Amino acid sequence: MGDNKVIEKQEQNKEPEKVIEVKHVKKVYRMGSERICAVDDVSFDILKGEFCCLLGTSGSGKSTLLNLMAGIEKVTSGQIIIKGKNIHKMNENNLARFRQNFLGFVFQSYNLLNSMTALENVEFPLVFKKVPLRKRKKAAKEMLTKVGLGTRLKHKPKQMSGGQQQRVGIARAFVAKPEIVFADEPTGNLDTKTTMEVMDLIKQIARDNKQTIVMVTHDKRLAGYADKIIHILDGKIQEVEILRDITKPEESGESSEQNLKFFSEEEESVTEDTKIEDAKIDETKMEDAQQLVSATTEDKEEN
Amino acid sequence: MKISDLLKMGLRNLFRRKARTALTVVGMVIGTISIVVMISIGIGIDSVYEEAVMSNGSLSLINVYPTGGNGGFYISSSDGGQQKQVQLDDDIIEQIRQIENVKFVSPIINKYVTPMSGKYQSWLDLMVVDFSVLKEFGIPMLEDGSYPSKEVKTKILLGSNCLRDFYDYSSRYGKTKTIDLSKDKVTFTFQDYAQNDKKRPYKVTINDNYAYFTNDENTMYSYSGFMDIDYFKEIYTKYANTLKVEDRKKAMKSIETYSQAWVNADNIRDVNKVVEEIQALGLQAYSAMQELGPMIETADMLKNVFAGIGLIAMLVSAINIANTMIMSIYERTKEIGVMKVLGCVVRDIKKLFLFEAGMIGLIGGGIGIAFSYVASWAVNKYGGKLISSIIPGNGWYVDGTGTDFSQIPWWLPILATSFAILVGVIAGYIPARRATKISAIEAMKTEG
Repeated sequence: MGDNKVIEKQEQNKEPEKVIEVKHVKKVYRMGSERICAVDDVSFDILKGEFCCLLGTSGSGKSTLLNLMAGIEKVTSGQIIIKGKNIHKMNENNLARFRQNFLGFVFQSYNLLNSMTALENVEFPLVFKKVPLRKRKKAAKEMLTKVGLGTRLKHKPKQMSGGQQQRVGIARAFVAKPEIVFADEPTGNLDTKTTMEVMDLIKQIARDNKQTIVMVTHDKRLAGYADKIIHILDGKIQEVEILRDITKPEESGESSEQNLKFFSEEEESVTEDTKIEDAKIDETKMEDAQQLVSATTEDKEEN
Repeated sequence: MKISDLLKMGLRNLFRRKARTALTVVGMVIGTISIVVMISIGIGIDSVYEEAVMSNGSLSLINVYPTGGNGGFYISSSDGGQQKQVQLDDDIIEQIRQIENVKFVSPIINKYVTPMSGKYQSWLDLMVVDFSVLKEFGIPMLEDGSYPSKEVKTKILLGSNCLRDFYDYSSRYGKTKTIDLSKDKVTFTFQDYAQNDKKRPYKVTINDNYAYFTNDENTMYSYSGFMDIDYFKEIYTKYANTLKVEDRKKAMKSIETYSQAWVNADNIRDVNKVVEEIQALGLQAYSAMQELGPMIETADMLKNVFAGIGLIAMLVSAINIANTMIMSIYERTKEIGVMKVLGCVVRDIKKLFLFEAGMIGLIGGGIGIAFSYVASWAVNKYGGKLISSIIPGNGWYVDGTGTDFSQIPWWLPILATSFAILVGVIAGYIPARRATKISAIEAMKTEG
């Protein structure tokens, strides 16, 4: 463990890598004639190896934000850049491949396939990655042993307790060694004791492999596990709270305002570029302005 | 996803809902049975007509006659007397040979001769044909001896009823005598022109080189003798040499044109087309196919009706498969969502559903084929009379009694199984596409 910390520190000192960049993301739902702005012009970054918690009450738009970051839902406007790629510009196939290689998921309702055994469930992501049968069986077995279910490989989800099912879910999320794991209320259906176990498990595996975790929860106590807490209310960031010194404080993207400032600086630095590009930037500016306007109007509508 | 994983998963999904899969398969089985049996009956009906054609030997045969003048079966009156005279000579025979789908052409000269044995006399309708294509016209087997070879064409082939009974015309009551060609000497001579008294009449002896046909159902060959055209020209020239000078010229000219020609088409279905083309040359052409043709057309229609019944059953089972797949998608919405989130490529989801649908087709098709043989046997055992009573021309031109009406050739099971798979895949296509369109987020919210 001590060695790990040293290495981490070295890496941090070099230059903390932004794994996820959320830029002015907005999501508007249509419910009949009503428009609901679930995520409203949100910008933040998540660094490599960070445990980030999206904290908010139910209906705050935190789950939607997670789904947007995972590419499960489409953004209304804005960009989400994961590992330097705008995931909402990818086609469906590339996004699927991207998920196979870089993303893992843990769900509140586990989302295990009931017809399959624990082992088969954990194997599932590797099946899509075309990992050979023997290799993926081995990997799945190892992962299940790691989450403490080494003796329950052949059990079906219905034959296991909630905690056990969620361990299978965690094993499935981590089996392909993804760089980023998204967890949507992973302990929402579990009792307190199991919750702690599951959280420790996630944290431990993530730390061992230096994986980035993005977790959504409404539970303030769980947020204590995180390195960074992003408080969300009514689709907007209320506050970014940094609990652990994993990264330089000024890089953590405290608010969307700072990001905006950063952007304007960038614009100024490209004055030497051609007029066409300038025009493009103007367009984006215009768009931004429009978004702001529409956002405010939407807020009014909501109220 | 690897193919092996895809197959494994597809099969697992099919086995998960055994009863539903089984019922859908049963639908497919019924569809396959109906299509196989219906097609097999169509093939059976076809075979009845093919048989009629084969036993007749003359269905693909076209009789061609010159227009105007000598003989002819009938005279087409469409343009009355305006029709120009077309003679059958070597040129026009060559033209007929060039027509598409014409397999063989033989010119024919009809000569009526009176064979003599001592004072007894008989008659013989001598058909002079091209021996090199004789076999193609479906001639009967020989009672003994061999067919004329390419080199030796001096044989005279006799119908089974020829030269058996001879009469003594000089006797008052017409004494008859049965002649045995192996013992009694028989000769004949041509009598087209008056005998030149100064020369000895030219006589041809039959005994050395005859062969009888076996008694065949096809009576066309029973009362005629057949002779090769080259040999005929040889002996006719010899005969002409015994004639007076002016008669000799006429005789030699007369064998340059033919009284008739036989044309054989490749295929009985092309006969009518060939007939029309020969008629376009200005000749008269006649074929028994002109009678049988419309009947075969009616039988074809009957076949199509049968095939249509089969197709309807197949269509119903296709709808059945589509329904099953759609139900399956509703049931597995959540699963599809999870698969998508875990990084399953959309194409694989589509493939999975298409495979499942195709598999239902394959299993149903396979079982259906097995049952088809049973059904086919039952049709042959109990349904023969019914079918033979509805085929056109039964009892007149064709004989349906005792035929196996349901015949399954080797290619039919293969074709039917592939068709069943294809139907499955097509029926599964829309549900499969629907599965790919399912939104992952919506899917994961559903129960199941």
